[in-house]
Amino acid sequence: MTEVLSKAIIDLNVVAKTKEDVFSRLTTLLDHDGRLNDPAVYMQNVADREALTTTGIGFGIAIPHGKTDAVKSVSVAIAKLEQPIDWEAMDGKPVDMVFQLAVPAASQGDAHLKLLAALSRQLIHADFRSKIKQATSEDEVIALIGNTINQTLEVPS
Amino acid sequence: MKIIAVTACPSGVAHTYMAAESLKVAADESKACESCFVETQGQIGIEDALSPAQIHDADVVILTNDIGIKNEERFKGKPVLRVHASDLIKKSPIIVEKLAQKLA
Repeated sequence: MTEVLSKAIIDLNVVAKTKEDVFSRLTTLLDHDGRLNDPAVYMQNVADREALTTTGIGFGIAIPHGKTDAVKSVSVAIAKLEQPIDWEAMDGKPVDMVFQLAVPAASQGDAHLKLLAALSRQLIHADFRSKIKQATSEDEVIALIGNTINQTLEVPS
Repeated sequence: MKIIAVTACPSGVAHTYMAAESLKVAADESKACESCFVETQGQIGIEDALSPAQIHDADVVILTNDIGIKNEERFKGKPVLRVHASDLIKKSPIIVEKLAQKLA
């Protein structure tokens, strides 16, 4: 199965002014890494989900997500923003770290939901948040999240 | 003090779990709290379902009130505190502290 995380879908120096800028950057990374069938459809799906309720979960973190046939394999694209931007977050604070999920519509079982649940739980822990925000390399980010996700995602795609 | 809780939220993908984890962390750190079991009712379904013994032994029940909680009749006769999932995420330590004072 394709790894959920890879260096190719992490950018720790994203310059963005709006949510859409972030969606666009991460969608491009996912597409270039061969994880999407249709980037435009995927990005629209992410924007539609975001319009329902904000995915800004507080602590400067957002977890937008799209579940559609336009996705080939379950993936988490990650952006660290050069400048925090408004995300209409739960705690009103601007966002500087984004975990954007891509999930195929026909994803077996609830693998992606379990992944989101596990990440959400991790993000409650201040030490995890500060480590991941201080990470300076893609490898460091993968190592920090890797355990969480590998433990969770046992369903083969 | 023995706490049990059930968390849920409209989309059932993130806040349910953040609220559960946040309460558990606060309970672990509180000297007044002996045990804390949290059931999640998310889009995955019900996980860490509370056992009849856990419910029987509990001093207080915390329920999120963002959406309806399934099988709420289990808690009949128990003191129940209803809070928003976001309140658990933001201020679980204060909530645990206040409960401990009230039940002391």
